[in-house]
Amino acid sequence: MTVTCPSGHSSATSDYCDQCGAPIGAVATPQQPTVELSILEDADTSPSEVRDPCPVCGAPRSGDDRYCEGCGHDFLAPPAPMTGWEAVVSADRSQFERLRPDDITFPGEYRERRFALDAPLMRIGRRRGRLDEPVLEIDLAGAPEDPGISRLHAVLERRLDGGYAIRDLGSTNGTMVNDDPAPLGRDTAVPLADGDRIRIGAWTTIIVRSR
Amino acid sequence: MSTFEVEVFQNEYLPSGGTEVNAIVTVSSAGFAGTGEAPDAAEIVIVDSSGSMDVPRAKMHAARDATAVAIDCIRDGVLFGVIAGNEKVSHVYPPGGGLEPASERTRTAAKQAAGKLRAGGGTSIGKWLGAANDAFAAAPGRVCHAILLTDGANEHETREQLEATLAVCEGRFQCDCRGVGTDWQVSELRRIASVLLGSVDIIADPAAMAADFRAMTEAAMGKTTGSVSLRVWTPQGARVQFIRQVAPTIEELTDRATASKPLTADYPTGSWGEESRDYHLCIEVPPREAGGEMLAGRIGLLHGDEVLSQGLIKAVWTNDHQLSTQISHQVAHYTGQAELAECIQEGLDARKAGDNATATFKLGRAVQLAAQSGNDDTMKLLAAVVDVEDPATGTVRLRNQITDVDEMALDTRSTRTVRVGPGA
Repeated sequence: MTVTCPSGHSSATSDYCDQCGAPIGAVATPQQPTVELSILEDADTSPSEVRDPCPVCGAPRSGDDRYCEGCGHDFLAPPAPMTGWEAVVSADRSQFERLRPDDITFPGEYRERRFALDAPLMRIGRRRGRLDEPVLEIDLAGAPEDPGISRLHAVLERRLDGGYAIRDLGSTNGTMVNDDPAPLGRDTAVPLADGDRIRIGAWTTIIVRSR
Repeated sequence: MSTFEVEVFQNEYLPSGGTEVNAIVTVSSAGFAGTGEAPDAAEIVIVDSSGSMDVPRAKMHAARDATAVAIDCIRDGVLFGVIAGNEKVSHVYPPGGGLEPASERTRTAAKQAAGKLRAGGGTSIGKWLGAANDAFAAAPGRVCHAILLTDGANEHETREQLEATLAVCEGRFQCDCRGVGTDWQVSELRRIASVLLGSVDIIADPAAMAADFRAMTEAAMGKTTGSVSLRVWTPQGARVQFIRQVAPTIEELTDRATASKPLTADYPTGSWGEESRDYHLCIEVPPREAGGEMLAGRIGLLHGDEVLSQGLIKAVWTNDHQLSTQISHQVAHYTGQAELAECIQEGLDARKAGDNATATFKLGRAVQLAAQSGNDDTMKLLAAVVDVEDPATGTVRLRNQITDVDEMALDTRSTRTVRVGPGA
């Protein structure tokens, strides 16, 4: 027995569509499929035509297949957006000299840490690794460790234009951007430009830049 | 045949536009449904008999004794054999090659033959495995298992020859690998064990060999369901970013998929007894706006043509940061355990390359992760390689003198994980 999912697929499983995973019985959400189906109709679907193999797995592709038989890749999907942003974390002595925090020494050797900004939310903090802590996309734990960074300190949020904004998440010691000495207010997202410096903790500087 | 239970742990909430779904899948097998014997097995012990096994002599002594102990653990009716290898292969028992059903008589004969093992010659591990594979051909449909013992690197054949043999043996039998002494290559045995879905370990002290052989053989006798695969379905436009076994050890499965039909991939897990294993799946799904919902994965246990049990991995998009930034305890725990294993590998590699700064940083991070997750066994092994000043911050100093045994023990056992502790 087969059922029909909200997007019109015929599915052999009755809980979720065995093609697109949509819950059976849900109302169709306005998404790409309608648009893409019209592309599909416009496309040359003559079966004899030989197309390029699947760009993901290399399996051969016949003309009218939308999804790769080898890996399920959607040939009509727009190419993944190349955000091309990265965060480069380093230790900044001038920041440390300005703050002169008690009982904290500037690290003798700090190896630059790089993080590709590849998720909609990039959380910054310092995990202790306890089970009830969130996983952090930018985890600054590990020696040499800046004790001025809160466990969940701030978050980089992807913007519609593909860039990122920084938001402080109620950190103990605050988050500063560039040379502005005033920490960001809570729940204020500040859009970042290529090369902007985020300053947190006793000496940590995060430069956000386009690759 | 075993009965299986599948349990899924995840936070199904994603931020609007999010594409990454993580889940820990626990698979438990109740073992053999009945209590009877499970003679549908075949077992081969492969013993290195190269010249170095006599240096010191205790190694060859221990290998003979351990082989006898393993033979004693083989149940009546199980087909078995003993192979000795140097640069060639010799069939210790049965002398003509092949396999014999275990009985009081055949076990005694096999132990007598193993007692006469002498060391001499080189090391061609691929040939030994090839001979075992030929012998297992006489046991179709059985759960086939081998124990491989070596004390040296695979010096008398090329890496390509070994890889070619592994490709032939893959999926035919499982093999637990043991290195005795410190002249064998951890990466080589790990590769063999990984392809043949077995374990790898160091036997630092030959005196411990017999107990280890007993444990391996008894575990093999407890396997009641052979050739089980994980069947993973993902929706159109989704992709399995990675799938790895995360308990009891870390084992990468991502590249081992065989596609059975569109949107479905099967990953080999070998044979199962009464046991439980955890898997971490990371699935990339097409982005949706808040309010969207999707089945991101369907995971089942495949034996023959039958899916024995299955679990669902879901994705629900929301604008509520509180929900979407939560992380499942299980996912967090095993992400840490995987990073722990990686830090140890990278730290040891850096040390070998003379990059002590990276080695100190990586092993320090490993100490921090081991301490946080309560992985005491790994912590002890780490403490033999670094002086731990503060486990909380991962502040360590590399020890000046590190013995080969300590380094190899840390290397081979770096992939052992602990399960999520109480309170999770």
